[in-house]
Amino acid sequence: MKELKTSNKASSKVETLKKQESLFARRLIEASLDPLVTISPKGKITDMNLATVNITGLDREKLTGTNFFDYFTEPQKAKEVYQEVFANGSVTNSPLTLRHIDGKLTDVLFNGSVYKDDSGKVLGVVIVARDVTAEKRIATELTEAKIFAELATELAIEAKAKAESATRLAKDAVKAKQQFLSNMSHEIRSPMNAIIGFTKVLLKTDLTAKQKEYLTAIKLSGDALIVLINDILDLAKVDAGKLVFEKIPFRLSMSIDAMLHLFQPKIQEKNLILVKEFDKNIPKILLGDPVRLHQILLNLLSNAVKFTTKGKISVFVRMLHEDPEKVTLEFAVSDTGIGIQKENITKIFENFQQASSNTSRLYGGTGLGLAIVKQLVENQQGEVNVKSNPGEGSTFSFVLDFLKTSEEPEEDPENLDFDKTINSVKVLVAEDIPLNQLLMKTLLDDYGFESEIVGNGKIAVGKLTNNTYDIILMDLQMPELNGFEATEFIRTNLKLNIPIIAITADVTTADLAKCKAVGMNDYISKPIDERLLYTKIIGILKKNKHKGLAKPVAKAKEEVLPAKFINLDYLKKRTKSKPDLMMQMISLYLSQTPPLVKTMKESLSKKDWDALYAAVHKLIPSFMIMGIGTDYENMAKEVQEYARTKKMTIKIKPLVNQIENVLKQSCKELEIELNTLKHNQT
Amino acid sequence: MKQKQPVKIFLVDDDTVFLKLLEIEFLENGEFDIETYETGEQCIEMLENKPDIIILDYLLDGVNKDAMNGLATLDKIKEFDPEIPVIILSAQDKIEVAVDCMHHKATDYVVKSETSFLRLKKIISKELKYNKMEKQLKWYMDRM
Repeated sequence: MKELKTSNKASSKVETLKKQESLFARRLIEASLDPLVTISPKGKITDMNLATVNITGLDREKLTGTNFFDYFTEPQKAKEVYQEVFANGSVTNSPLTLRHIDGKLTDVLFNGSVYKDDSGKVLGVVIVARDVTAEKRIATELTEAKIFAELATELAIEAKAKAESATRLAKDAVKAKQQFLSNMSHEIRSPMNAIIGFTKVLLKTDLTAKQKEYLTAIKLSGDALIVLINDILDLAKVDAGKLVFEKIPFRLSMSIDAMLHLFQPKIQEKNLILVKEFDKNIPKILLGDPVRLHQILLNLLSNAVKFTTKGKISVFVRMLHEDPEKVTLEFAVSDTGIGIQKENITKIFENFQQASSNTSRLYGGTGLGLAIVKQLVENQQGEVNVKSNPGEGSTFSFVLDFLKTSEEPEEDPENLDFDKTINSVKVLVAEDIPLNQLLMKTLLDDYGFESEIVGNGKIAVGKLTNNTYDIILMDLQMPELNGFEATEFIRTNLKLNIPIIAITADVTTADLAKCKAVGMNDYISKPIDERLLYTKIIGILKKNKHKGLAKPVAKAKEEVLPAKFINLDYLKKRTKSKPDLMMQMISLYLSQTPPLVKTMKESLSKKDWDALYAAVHKLIPSFMIMGIGTDYENMAKEVQEYARTKKMTIKIKPLVNQIENVLKQSCKELEIELNTLKHNQT
Repeated sequence: MKQKQPVKIFLVDDDTVFLKLLEIEFLENGEFDIETYETGEQCIEMLENKPDIIILDYLLDGVNKDAMNGLATLDKIKEFDPEIPVIILSAQDKIEVAVDCMHHKATDYVVKSETSFLRLKKIISKELKYNKMEKQLKWYMDRM
């Protein structure tokens, strides 16, 4: 009993265990997301899990006993597959598609195997249809992604090629622009040279007031056009990165004064007040690019004057920082003009932009000035600032560093005006355009120089083998042998170091470098500024002469042939060469002149314009009496005029110095004359 | 009315060199009685010497600021005797200056140059001729 009981108990325990196991297995089956189905050998569904219900959309009752293959898109194929299971015992990963009652399809991989009873009789098939929708989707996505990636790569390559060709195009365009500008500037400058040059020549002739007015208008327009061309060229140079800043010693305050002087007439004309504030602590001589600084200030000042109708224009130069090597200076130009609207402040620095389209209509201008200012300042590591209130005025300021230096600046070539020690200059001009030939001849005649004009470099070279000249003016673009070739030939083959000044309508920096490379001494650009040409010629000749003077041989020669400042022909004529009268005259001159020269010097340093005027005024008639050249007399008259108008200019000091020298020299010569006269009498 | 006596000329100029030159030229080129003065003040003091003609520099107060200038001297001369012809001599060729001088009753205006002596001489002889004619006319008018 006990055994039975135990057996019974055991059997019931086994029963319970089995039941639990079966329930567990069922749970697992139901939990699977893949459809699980059992099919009878006849193909009818005998059991299924929840996933099957979900994927077909039919409940268990409806499914049980139906044909399993009916739920596939390809029933025939499904039938074959499960028949294969019966035949072979199993099948793996056979792809089929299940259909939901609502039409939704699910891709599955069909796996099945037969199950048998203990005797080995086949009872049915267990099928697992693995849902591969997600896998398939991912696979599709992956393929798509791959295709996209390939496409993208292609696009990228294409874009890169496009970018490269665009860069090339842009570079070509910049080059073409540079070339175009260079060509245009040449093509415009050549005729402008003739227009402005002959206008200047005409202006020197006898004209009626009307004619003079019209000619002046032509000249002003021509000058304006040249300024525009220069502006455009400058911007092009900046764009092309070709702008080079010099580092030469210069006097800052003098530079500023000279420029303010330029604006004096305009400022007076408009009845404006000019205020200058210059920090006295700034070192007198600085290292930098005075030409570019001049250009920056010129643009700012001309704007200030242009846009101001009443009030004042102030120019400030302040030292912000100083260390042993350099100084940091702030320059500011302030006006009480129309001002700039806030929204326009950034616009004004763009090329060809003015604050508003009205501006150009009312005030004219190209809108290039500030663009140039910005470029010039920023290319020197500076910064431009604007403060403006519409209707109240604007302040433009910029900060630049300058190195300190102990070098002395080179003498201003302007000071070499009418140097008497340079005379009988023989000039060879090589220039192919007949109009410019004529203009050149007119100018050189005006200076009192002897000139010979040839049409190309070849003839010029030929001339040099037989004749001697003091200086050559060489146009760069000529037929047969151009200026570069001719210069090279002169330097290397003829081995002449005669000064050569290039005349060019083309002022791109590349050309200038070429000029220097072939051995030219200097260049001047068309349209030719007659004053500049004169000072350049004289400057070069004087430099050469100084070099010569440094040699003792030349010095000795100088002593043999002392240049005489005085010429007593006039006095002899007037006094009928009576020695006593001549002696009286000379003694009087010798007693009167030195004090006057002293007064002249002192009054200049004291800026006593009236005294300067009086002293020079009194000196003037004696130039004629003692036969001291009219050139010097004209210098004195120039000083007299500056003194009369009370205009301070950098020119006045060198003029006064030169007059002083000439008169001191003259006095020495006269003392010798006086002694000779006395000696002859006794 | 015969003029046996040499013409008496006052030369006034603070530029002693030019003054001397003029003096020499006058003395070398004809019968003149020349008196030279370096300032306007001296000239006026000596007006009692009765010059026939005065040649006066325009800018007498240039270097010496306290000196009487040319125009003031001219006015004083005219005050003393409006009949004395005064020729203004100047280094400047400014029209305004010339016109100003004429308004102050100067007889003529000459710019200092190489030819100023010749021009002065011409003006003087013309002026003296004119003066003579005027005097003769006056003489005849008085008789009538």
